[in-house]
Amino acid sequence: MATTPNPRPRRSPRESQASESFTPVGDNTLTGLQRLPGPTRYPLTPSRFMTTTPSGNRSASRFTPRNRGVGAPSTPHGLRAMQRRAANTPGRDRRRSGRIQRETTFDILRNLGKALAPTSKPIQSSPQQPLEPSPEPERDEIEELDNEPATERPRLSLPVEDVEEVDEGSPEPRPPRLSLAFEEDEDITHTSIEYPRRAISEADRARLSMMSFGAPRLSENFGDATGLESDSDVGDETGVIHDEGADDTVISQGAFDRGGETEDLGRFNLNFNFPSPPAPGDGDFDEPINDDGFELPPVDFPVEDAILDDSGDIGDTAGELGIELNLPARVSLSESPGIVGGGLRAEEHIGQGKKQKKLSRHGIPVPNIPSGVIRKLATRFAPARAGSKTKISKTTLAAIEQASSWYFEQVSEDVAAYSKHAGRKTIDESDVTALMRRQRHLNGANTVFSLAQKHLPKELLQDMRLAMPP
Amino acid sequence: MAATQKLYPRGTVKRIVKAHSNRNVSKNADILIFLDYMLFMQELMREASIRSRKAGEKNISASSVRKVTERTLRKFKG
Repeated sequence: MATTPNPRPRRSPRESQASESFTPVGDNTLTGLQRLPGPTRYPLTPSRFMTTTPSGNRSASRFTPRNRGVGAPSTPHGLRAMQRRAANTPGRDRRRSGRIQRETTFDILRNLGKALAPTSKPIQSSPQQPLEPSPEPERDEIEELDNEPATERPRLSLPVEDVEEVDEGSPEPRPPRLSLAFEEDEDITHTSIEYPRRAISEADRARLSMMSFGAPRLSENFGDATGLESDSDVGDETGVIHDEGADDTVISQGAFDRGGETEDLGRFNLNFNFPSPPAPGDGDFDEPINDDGFELPPVDFPVEDAILDDSGDIGDTAGELGIELNLPARVSLSESPGIVGGGLRAEEHIGQGKKQKKLSRHGIPVPNIPSGVIRKLATRFAPARAGSKTKISKTTLAAIEQASSWYFEQVSEDVAAYSKHAGRKTIDESDVTALMRRQRHLNGANTVFSLAQKHLPKELLQDMRLAMPP
Repeated sequence: MAATQKLYPRGTVKRIVKAHSNRNVSKNADILIFLDYMLFMQELMREASIRSRKAGEKNISASSVRKVTERTLRKFKG
């Protein structure tokens, strides 16, 4: 009430007017409530009060249903509200205009339709619809038998295509099938298409053996990796012939075929050389020639013979391998001339049974991690997902061993690169932590110690803590 | 896990790394490398088990491991 001197005199007459219909208590509350928004609106407000009962005023002042009810807003706030409403919801006007426009278009069309066909339209449409179905059933009875198979055929053909597409779409499920078909095709048809694939796969294999070159190429030929896998399925470096007896027989047939069709092989190998030279590049003209002709035996045949002597089945697969083996050997020789790599590959393949140590790129014999450790780790990590107790078969273990040997090759070369960059001669803990950070294993949430605490036993943890203070 | 007194032969790991890198390995770096190897194995087995279960195999097969190897190795490329 006592906020400003000006409103008082103005209000007092109104109050006197309002007091005719209001109880003073209701007045006070109402005026108090309505004064808050602003004094300017007071001149217009009394009209409201005049017509309403006090209880109605209270409700009106609180919820202001009046403003909605009244067609033309009497208060400036109401006017503003209406204006804002109009401004905020332009859709009304647009809708109206849109309606008009739509109506006009419809009208135009209707008018056009009326002009074109004033009377016949509704009449024609209704009889046509009943007329059409009536002849159809007659036709259907006769043609249904013919139509049904026709409709089924496309349905049958489509899902088959879909399945094929799905197989093509996901590269991973394919490799096993590819390997089989691929081998058979190779033996039987000798299609020229196969050779580039094969060359790529062998390049992959060579690359995997030399992990250092892996970085760019791995990322480049992801699709080719499947080819690698398909190859590795047949003749793995671990030498495990786990897959199927049927494959072995097929392979043996292939070997026989090769023996019989050596002329054809020679031809195709000439073609096959074509992609391979760029990889070696160092002018190993003698070797490719050796490979292509069946004359290459000086290197290979002893190997094959030796394995053949050992056991028949292995011998068959090795006979297959023997031809393929040369290529990785040659590539590795060419890529790293001064290194014993060539010997490495051969030794790997031959000496599976003998447990011969393979040599690293630097010619240093690489020991294998004992398979017991790998099995322990694998069983430790596998059951977390795969149920209560997972058995790891021998072939799986061999695959894991292969993977881990590749892993160590890769990791140690990475770490060596880091230490070299740091100008050190020894590989330090910081190099490994840098590696793990780049692998996204170490970040804000994970420290080396948290990881170590999770995975390593206490003794190693202590050693680690001693080695690198946090 | 901690129950196993000897988790892995330290000398072997060190020799492997040394052979591949042609560099000396500091005294306790092999622990970290083996830690990383354990992470690798964890990842590998997880991927392989996922893949084998997708294929409907009861156990982890060698082929599933082999399929997963390439990808996992690339994930661990520093």
